[in-house]
Amino acid sequence: MGRIQFDHLTKQFGETVAVEDLTFDIEDSEFLVLVGPSGCGKSTTLRMLAGLETPTSGDLYIADEHMNYRVPQNRDIAMVFQDYALYPHMTIRENIRFGLEEEPGYTEAERDERVEDVAETLGIDDLLDRKPGELSGGQQQRVALGRAIVRDPEVFLMDEPLANLDAKLRTQMRTELQRLQEELDVTTVYVTHNQTEAMTMGDRIAVLNDGRLQQVGEPLELYHAPENQFVAGFIGEPMMNFLHGDRSEEGFVGEYIEYPFDERLERAVGDAADLVLGIRPEAIDVRHAGESASQSLGPHEFRMTVTVTETHGDQNVVTLTHAEDEASHDTIRAVTDGMHIVNAGESVIVTVEPDAVHVFDGETGEALCNRRLETARELTI
Amino acid sequence: MARLEIDDVTKEYRSGESSVVAVQDIAVEVPDGDFLVLVGPSGCGKSTTLRMIAGLEEITEGEIRLGGRTINDVSAQERDIAMVFQSYALYPHKTVRSNMSFGLEESTELSDSAIAETVEETAAMMGIEDLLDRKPGELSGGQQQRVALGRAIVRDPDVFLMDEPLSNLDAKLRAEMRTELQHLQEQLDVTTVYVTHDQTEAMTMGDRIAVLDEGELQQVGTPLECYHEPNNLFVASFIGEPSMNFFDGTLENDALVTDYFEYPLSQESRRDLESGGDLVLGIRPEDARIGDAQQSDRRFEAEVLVVEPMGNENIIHLQFDGMAVDDEFVVTTEGVPNVSAGDRVGVEFPEPAIHLFDGAGGDAIKNRDLSFTGTPDAVLP
Amino acid sequence: MSQSTSDTNIDVASVVEDVNLRRIGHYTIVILFLGFFLLPLITGIMTALKTSTAVANTLPFMPPLGDGFTLANLEYAFNRLSYAFVNSLLMAIPATIINVLLASMAAFGLTMVRWRGQMGILVLFLIGIFVPYQAVLVPLARFWNNIFPIADMLEPVFSVVPLIQGYHSALVPLIITHVAYGIPICMLLFRSYYQSLPNSLVEAAKIDGASITKIYRRIILPISKPMFGVVFIYQFTQIYNEFLFSFTLVTSANSSEAPITLIIPTIGTSTSGIDFGIRMAAAFLAALPTIILYVAFAEQFAKGLETESA
Repeated sequence: MGRIQFDHLTKQFGETVAVEDLTFDIEDSEFLVLVGPSGCGKSTTLRMLAGLETPTSGDLYIADEHMNYRVPQNRDIAMVFQDYALYPHMTIRENIRFGLEEEPGYTEAERDERVEDVAETLGIDDLLDRKPGELSGGQQQRVALGRAIVRDPEVFLMDEPLANLDAKLRTQMRTELQRLQEELDVTTVYVTHNQTEAMTMGDRIAVLNDGRLQQVGEPLELYHAPENQFVAGFIGEPMMNFLHGDRSEEGFVGEYIEYPFDERLERAVGDAADLVLGIRPEAIDVRHAGESASQSLGPHEFRMTVTVTETHGDQNVVTLTHAEDEASHDTIRAVTDGMHIVNAGESVIVTVEPDAVHVFDGETGEALCNRRLETARELTI
Repeated sequence: MARLEIDDVTKEYRSGESSVVAVQDIAVEVPDGDFLVLVGPSGCGKSTTLRMIAGLEEITEGEIRLGGRTINDVSAQERDIAMVFQSYALYPHKTVRSNMSFGLEESTELSDSAIAETVEETAAMMGIEDLLDRKPGELSGGQQQRVALGRAIVRDPDVFLMDEPLSNLDAKLRAEMRTELQHLQEQLDVTTVYVTHDQTEAMTMGDRIAVLDEGELQQVGTPLECYHEPNNLFVASFIGEPSMNFFDGTLENDALVTDYFEYPLSQESRRDLESGGDLVLGIRPEDARIGDAQQSDRRFEAEVLVVEPMGNENIIHLQFDGMAVDDEFVVTTEGVPNVSAGDRVGVEFPEPAIHLFDGAGGDAIKNRDLSFTGTPDAVLP
Repeated sequence: MSQSTSDTNIDVASVVEDVNLRRIGHYTIVILFLGFFLLPLITGIMTALKTSTAVANTLPFMPPLGDGFTLANLEYAFNRLSYAFVNSLLMAIPATIINVLLASMAAFGLTMVRWRGQMGILVLFLIGIFVPYQAVLVPLARFWNNIFPIADMLEPVFSVVPLIQGYHSALVPLIITHVAYGIPICMLLFRSYYQSLPNSLVEAAKIDGASITKIYRRIILPISKPMFGVVFIYQFTQIYNEFLFSFTLVTSANSSEAPITLIIPTIGTSTSGIDFGIRMAAAFLAALPTIILYVAFAEQFAKGLETESA
């Protein structure tokens, strides 16, 4: 079965460490997304899995077999490349069939049949006799997938396969790919730098940075309970807001705001001195300040000024700055409902509930306290 | 600074007998200092329109006026415009400094020292003053992007033209540059025409959006107008991510009858409608509601296909009984998802939020009711 | 992973086995090819360093030993060729430079600037490649000798210019002929390179306010440096090694303006027989400039080819 194990896997290029001490398992038929900024080592990891790079140290197992030195063709894997890598001089049929020709145990007729079956699954059966150059981006993408699927491998490897598609098509292919993977039930490792793809497609996500594994977990686990500041900042769009400051008697003191802790935060933070407050943009409530400036504010309310409002239609992303220092580059972002409009230049009151606050250690970046989640509401029809 | 008028402009490519109309009778006015976004799918004529403004394509019919002067026959060199290209088009053999000064040397009579000073000032504003002596090849994508912008800004032109300037950046950087570009344009107050296929960029950046399809102008309006009051089916489906859901049906007595449900229309909604006419019902994913307690005759049973958790919201793909295999509709919900794939749920389409389109021509018949909160007397801008 | 150690062993063993069989095959083929290419060269150089007796008595590719070694051949060949070197370089260097510059301008005009009738001009250029040398030899000779005797016209000017002689004016028609014949193919090389450059570079420069000539001088010319390297080496070799035009326009190996290629066929031959030592020494010397050029610009050459294929 297609279980993958990384055991202290390290890859160095000369002096540069591309991947450092990677240890985790990918379960059989799991959809795992490797995500991180460019240069984080995610592609190198995928290439080691594919056999295009040899690990410097550590061990790599696929289906319990040691893979470090095995050549790609003997690994029973299929890979989809970012640029699709279709053979331009072959028809779609020949492209899909190509990988099958090296595979023993098929008769010619069976190979043809298999190609047709796969093409039908992907809805490209009309295109079989065309050349790649005549196809649109989305169609080429499907052919690349077909070429991978036809070999019925233990493991699918995908290197940013949706990066070259436009936004609408990308969303569509995202769901399609996900459904296909469920149907085929093949272990899949998917590399992307796009956190939306990671969140929506993966059974689990592995976040990498600087060649090191930051966290492995289910999408919502990473979103709501990040282990460190990097994960918190990387997952989520718009990004989590970070406020730097110190521990005080009541709670947190930053340059512009004081944020008193409730009991839960108090307990979790302890006496760590250097703190970073993390607040998701959707956890910030923005309301119009009204006429009287002298309105009294609650402990978790702040007066701020709107600098930019981005209307998305279904939501608005509001960039806010501190009322006392409007030129400051130290801004925070809030997300409001699409029908809730505030304009640039307006004075607003911002509320941040203590339940929704994350606290990170300012030195190590480690999460001291993550937000509290309400339990899922019961659904009634 | 200047007002840009595009007056019934047509572009036709002729080769021998056949001719292709790339742009048909487009008329848009961009007031001085305004930010206009030309948006549409690839091949809709948006780039051709931009290139006609730049003087890189000839105008077949119609007139383009800049500051009241017709510029049809003015060469690109003589128009006072600056353009940012998708590929940046930085001169690879020149340093950042000479990239930025080239335009000033060619198009103005400024002295060398005045040019040097202007370049340094602009570089400081764009935060690239440390990069002035490097060559483009040594810069990251984001830095190149800044240099390309700097090269346009330094010339202080009448109009900025931007051709998908952010499409080569990764998602995080793109979101960042979006706000920055918008802020910069407001500061400089230069008339700007921005071409993109990305509806998010259009919604968030433009003072106004011009939506193009197949060479024809579909709608010009503020982002929220295009979002909430689309002229036709095309605009409704193009603007908004995930897309608006559409259901074909016919009006029978006081209800819209589709293949999957009967939607009762109130007296007010069907006032101008004829019984038996073909209609399309449109509803945005965030306006449909899943599984509220109270019963309603505008609620229909559906099956959950896929749940995509994004952290701040969830994209839920659903299917009514009897829908084709690859047909679906989408609802977004906030918070932690409380449904999962395979569940049967009730989906309500609240009447104030629905759009109705003419089934034959696609023109909007009824757009949704609007009620904004936030800013006092918020109305559609 | 209890089986991990044994797994590693099996893998390594199979890898080593794999490598040995294949490597032996690869190296055998490589050595055969190396011999095939190097043997004529070695033979030439060795023969150039041998006395006539040694040439007659030893295997051609063996090095000269003891009495058999001599530098006399090289010395003789050098003396006989020295003025011809000057002639060849005086012809090849200006011809190549003018040729490459004009070709690059033509390519720029035919790819990056749009104007009416450029297809027709391009076709004319392409036809130029396919006109055989032999077909134009007679009209060419007539033209330069009778209709437009530019060599005679320039001779008085050349004789007063320092460093060159009056007879060098006979090289001018050769230079012009080479330029005319070389432009089409060089233009095609530049054109394929310019087509690979993004069009937006030219457009950006246009919007920056630069004229067509400015765009060429300040943007395209500097960018095409690697391509200039390639085309320069290629065209220099072509012109330097060319025989037919020189033979037609200069005619005699004994003329003082004869380029090197005219002299090579006659050197070391006499009624008493052929002196292979001298012939090889002359061939080696004649090849030196192109060899030096290749070695000096090897990196640029490789880079140019790379950019072209990319």
